[in-house]
Amino acid sequence: MPFHDQVVEVFRTVFNDPGLTVEDHMTSEHIPSWDSLKHINLVFQIEQNFGIRFTTAELARLQCVGDLKRCIANKLRITLSS
Amino acid sequence: MSNEAHIYDSRTNWENGVDGHLSAARALVKEGRSQEAIEAFLDCFRSSPSANVCVELATCYERIGDSESASRWAGQIVNLTDDYSAWQRASGIFQRCRKLHGSTNESALRVAVLGSYTTAQFVHLLPLALVRPAPASEIYESPYAQIDQEILDPGSGLYQFRPDVVVIVLHEGGAQLPEFSALHRDAVASEVSRWTNLWSVLRSRTNARVIQHNFAVPGLVSMGHLSARVLGSRYRMLHAVNAQLGEEAGAEVSIVDCERLAAWIGKHKYFDPRYWHLAKQAVALEALPLLVKHTAAVISASMGRNRKCLVLDLDNTLWGGVIGEDGVAGLVLGQDAEGEAYVAFQEYVLELKRRGVVLAVCSKNNHIDAIEPFATHPEMRLTLDDFAIFVANWNAKAENIRLIAEQLNLGLDALVFVDDNPVECAAVRQALPEVDVIQLPPDPADFVRTLGEYLCFESDWVTQEDANRTAQYQARAQARQLEAEAGSIEAFHRGLRMEALVSPFTVGDLPRIAQLVGKTNQFNLTTRRHSTAQLLDFMHRSECVHLSFRLRDRLADHGLVSVIIALQEGHTLVIDTWLMSCRVMGRTVDAAMLSVLCREAKQRRCKTLVGTYVSTDKNAVTATVYGQYGFDLMEHAPDHSIWQYDLEAKGIIPAAYIHIVHPGEIGNAVS
Repeated sequence: MPFHDQVVEVFRTVFNDPGLTVEDHMTSEHIPSWDSLKHINLVFQIEQNFGIRFTTAELARLQCVGDLKRCIANKLRITLSS
Repeated sequence: MSNEAHIYDSRTNWENGVDGHLSAARALVKEGRSQEAIEAFLDCFRSSPSANVCVELATCYERIGDSESASRWAGQIVNLTDDYSAWQRASGIFQRCRKLHGSTNESALRVAVLGSYTTAQFVHLLPLALVRPAPASEIYESPYAQIDQEILDPGSGLYQFRPDVVVIVLHEGGAQLPEFSALHRDAVASEVSRWTNLWSVLRSRTNARVIQHNFAVPGLVSMGHLSARVLGSRYRMLHAVNAQLGEEAGAEVSIVDCERLAAWIGKHKYFDPRYWHLAKQAVALEALPLLVKHTAAVISASMGRNRKCLVLDLDNTLWGGVIGEDGVAGLVLGQDAEGEAYVAFQEYVLELKRRGVVLAVCSKNNHIDAIEPFATHPEMRLTLDDFAIFVANWNAKAENIRLIAEQLNLGLDALVFVDDNPVECAAVRQALPEVDVIQLPPDPADFVRTLGEYLCFESDWVTQEDANRTAQYQARAQARQLEAEAGSIEAFHRGLRMEALVSPFTVGDLPRIAQLVGKTNQFNLTTRRHSTAQLLDFMHRSECVHLSFRLRDRLADHGLVSVIIALQEGHTLVIDTWLMSCRVMGRTVDAAMLSVLCREAKQRRCKTLVGTYVSTDKNAVTATVYGQYGFDLMEHAPDHSIWQYDLEAKGIIPAAYIHIVHPGEIGNAVS
């Protein structure tokens, strides 16, 4: 599964919405249920699925889909095309 | 890929095993063919039950609009996994489906959660974990870290919510203890009294059961190993507080031993500082399902909803090998490492029996083969006497289990069935969904853990009655046999030579009385779940008649089995509560109790007795019990009826077969 789709999968699971649209520019403002509690579930789930560990600063800062993807990609040493 | 490739046929997919079913099922989901996907997932579950399959089944059911099945399958994960993601998904489905059923449910269990840290995630998972004891629950979550305020303020949201259960969710940071104290005794005492005071305030204002988390002591301490030797270290003080909370809790408060859970999962996993700093989440999400599951098990036990009987297979369960083929000499038991594992499992089962769990055997064997190891194998820890009932034949296990439940007069939902054979497990699971089925793992060394992690026998209080239960159930099975042999029921009752010891409630009996009040379902006329505090209150009111009954016969001492509470209103004695353990139903104890109550009423110059029957799902058996004893029906509604007995005209109801003994009349009637 392409990297972006894997990230989308996590969002859809955590927000319990199989039809959720997830794009790089999106932030918690675009996804209404992305509150601080769901954020914790989100970062936890990403850590589990990708086998990575965020720093505390990253946990607090990553409130935008694009930033999140760049951070994950960085840790996994993969290059993003866009 | 062509469409035909995805037509689901369970027979062809067997060749590829579970994985074949799984990929077929997932392909069907992708094509939106949920109904067929369900069939495929069900096949997966039958051959190898897993949490993920449950969630996928629940998702499919939700998609086709069957919210009943969706929430049932979501609830199945509770005993199958501690994985947070699976719990999270299952909870989401469960709660959406519950909402469809209508949010205001009169019978919902009302649970208030007061936390010293962020409890949003805990609260989200709790209804799912509670599904067994309380199919519907309503949760109140207190504002962040306001335990003391919520309990002390009579106008708080907590009291407006009118909880049935109050769960106090704590982390070690919630303890008001310094890193070090020279006056450690005072520091510990003041922390303990903080909680005992809160408990008594709660008890004075609500009838809710209190479920208290204790402190998970941190695994990292600045003082290192020295802290184990220094009484004034926070580490030692936290342990001291935990120990004293356990003592103070007594019968009225239940403790969830978070310290043990944290140790079990690993303290480095239990606490993740990042989530604490980010969101004041003091229990790592990874550890949360374990904590929620155990909290629910303790709540369930406090409601008396724990399982009562463990039904065991024999071959490859209590010993390695097949007795009918290998013979006693060929069994794996004792002798070597694998044999030791079977011995350890038998010893664990024996411990459960000592704690009051009733044991039964259900095995496909010739009876004569099945009992042989018990008589002749030197390494057997369990003996035939440890089992209340022993069934070894070639009938279907589901049939035998139904028979076992009948013989022991237990509901199927009181049974746990353990077997190593997935086919047997699947068959029982399908035929008897009320029975908990535990499939043993391949390695006998994991048996104890598998059974232990199931949490089905968590209990709220240790009473003598619990410990003696097997003897009582054995006696009952014998009594059933006598019943068959004695010919007439009168001869049977007389032959039992029953004696009842009748006594007003005593403080010593209170735990057992509260247990009966809390969990008796069948013979229970009004099903009023009075708390221990309320029972104490009844004991102090002069207008209240409160009687407990112990029954013994020539076969067994059944212990304290029945309770009656009645309130005098002028010349009328109104029965508030009348219940009886199902273990002694059909023994004319009901007649004896009414007889005693009539005498009591007469002494109080009452002219009538009034009894109410409030119908529930389980107490239909008592719907007309008052009528049987000469009460007249005064009022009849679908959900209740009111009955009146004219004591002046009809006289005292006779207790034909039971000799009634009052305290003081006999020295050592019942130990």
